[in-house]
Amino acid sequence: MSVEISELLKPFYQVFEDLYRFAKDAKTDGEKVAGYFCTYSPQELLHSAGYFPVRVIGGLGATPLADQWLQPFACSFAKSALQAGLSGDFSFLDLVMFSHTCDTMQNLAEIWRRRVSGLEVVIVSTPNLTEGDIPLNYLMKELERVKEELERISKVQITEDRLLKSIEVYERHRSNMKSLYALRRKNPSALNGEDMFAIVMSSFLMKKEAHNEMLENLIQSLKALPVKDVDKPKVLVGGSVCQVQGFIEAIESAGAFVCDDDLCMGSRSYVLPPIYDGNPTEILARMYLSRVPCPAFHKPGHDPASYLLDRVVSSGAKGVVFLQTKFCDPYAFNYPHLRRTLEKEGIRTLLIEVEQNQPVSEAFKTRISAFLETLQ
Amino acid sequence: MRSIYFLGLDIGSATAKAVLINEKRDICSWAVIPTGGRLLEAGEKVRRDALEIVGRVDEVHVEAVVSTGYGRELVRDKTRSVTEITCHAKGAHELMKDVRFVIDIGGQDSKAILLSKDGLVERFEMNDKCAAGTGRFLEVMSRVLNIPLEEIGDIAVNSGEFAKISSTCTVFAESEVISLLAQGVDIPKIVSGLCKAVSERVYGLASRVGVTPPIMLTGGVAKNRGVVYWLSKLIGSEIRIPENPQIVGAYGAALIGAESYLNLSIK
Repeated sequence: MSVEISELLKPFYQVFEDLYRFAKDAKTDGEKVAGYFCTYSPQELLHSAGYFPVRVIGGLGATPLADQWLQPFACSFAKSALQAGLSGDFSFLDLVMFSHTCDTMQNLAEIWRRRVSGLEVVIVSTPNLTEGDIPLNYLMKELERVKEELERISKVQITEDRLLKSIEVYERHRSNMKSLYALRRKNPSALNGEDMFAIVMSSFLMKKEAHNEMLENLIQSLKALPVKDVDKPKVLVGGSVCQVQGFIEAIESAGAFVCDDDLCMGSRSYVLPPIYDGNPTEILARMYLSRVPCPAFHKPGHDPASYLLDRVVSSGAKGVVFLQTKFCDPYAFNYPHLRRTLEKEGIRTLLIEVEQNQPVSEAFKTRISAFLETLQ
Repeated sequence: MRSIYFLGLDIGSATAKAVLINEKRDICSWAVIPTGGRLLEAGEKVRRDALEIVGRVDEVHVEAVVSTGYGRELVRDKTRSVTEITCHAKGAHELMKDVRFVIDIGGQDSKAILLSKDGLVERFEMNDKCAAGTGRFLEVMSRVLNIPLEEIGDIAVNSGEFAKISSTCTVFAESEVISLLAQGVDIPKIVSGLCKAVSERVYGLASRVGVTPPIMLTGGVAKNRGVVYWLSKLIGSEIRIPENPQIVGAYGAALIGAESYLNLSIK
């Protein structure tokens, strides 16, 4: 990799020193910071209400405080996030936004409201059916309600103009991320998986305006690189993990090349159709409903397996590693269908159940290495 | 012309194994020692032990060293490291060409491996984190019952009856055993129940992969007749045990070394 590109990548890696460093700095500078739990949370509304939206990502370590309120079968993401909330690690947040996705997230929102003090809790009741006029009209009304709630809390009037400007910033960002994903298809050697996930993680934790600039500079330089494939076995990472960094690093140090992903903490948040015309809440409602659905949602006509197969084929991946968060039921329901479809096409798969609050284990590395040995 | 050898080293959590083979792929010597806390030293010692059987250590001409097991990366002077999944598959296929399914029960993990007709790994599963369904489970229980580990299998087979052990967790199963002892349940019945409990965990793991006979059981626990009895009963099929089940992984590693050296494709 050229010196210039490794210099351009450095700032993306800064988030790993402290995931919320940018949020904390903003707070110190007198800005308002909002945490959001899921990419179905309309960040554009938070942005236009004057908040710096950052994604809540689970951390490492035991979760004794959260274990008092969550059952053993709640996922490690919910537990580690609640642990951070209860232990005061999110004191830099003014507000948290939950979106109704899986059962755990819905209940976590209520536990959070009752147990974590010092910040506002806003819940967006996103419809689980994402196709048709009824969900669309419902979500438009819900977004109007959330907008009013945010106006009341922030004392900022979210005018149509303000919201359109925020949508523009976010749309530019999605478009940049889409370009980057497309660029990796065309020129796999341009960025490895670890670099890509540093970019992805930072995209959720930095200001979109700054991230846009960094992305645009990077994309420009990457475009100038000669097109070259990689000689390592290419794998796509799917599943339901949110804290991905350690896992991607372990997969690549075992000798693989993570060429693409089908993760919420990745492409699923960015591979959206372009926005529609209309009033800003309609734009947002249509956009969130038209995205590749989270496994907790139902979109008639969308087959997650053929969508995944398309990504695998077009990225040139030889195998798929599913990193499934333990107790993530919505994803577990999808998995057998995904695996069958891929294996029918001769694509090898490996499922590893992970706990996001635990470091990558030796057994994890052995499984990855053994999987790669079967790809050779 | 002096002989050339290929060494396979399998540094597991409980034992370190070394197998030395010649160009004809015959096993010339092997050794098994407890790993203890020092993986690196165990690797060195077991290597010396195997080499000493064929000659003076510094005169044995080893052309390739392939390491496997959870200490595989620590082995010095290795030609390469390969996971125990590939090595067990390789070793098992070499020993019995028609084997389609390998179950390896080691000290801290168990694996179920489905092989293709050509002996390649098709699919595999490893146990998750916990010690249930591994050799460690039986080690803990042998201490609780004060019975030597190597006697557990025979006691179980001769028991005729078994006590029900339902906890998946090793620590909870230990308290269950203590309760059974307090109730005056015969020790052989408890021992048989423990072998059944290990087999049930492994059976669950194997079923996830899809058990396809002929089946071979490898790893130290394959020496336990009680586990073999229960596992074959649960699976409903005969289970083949190689002469030295503990060294199958190291043998596979040595074979991979020989094939790399002889420029054969690695299978």
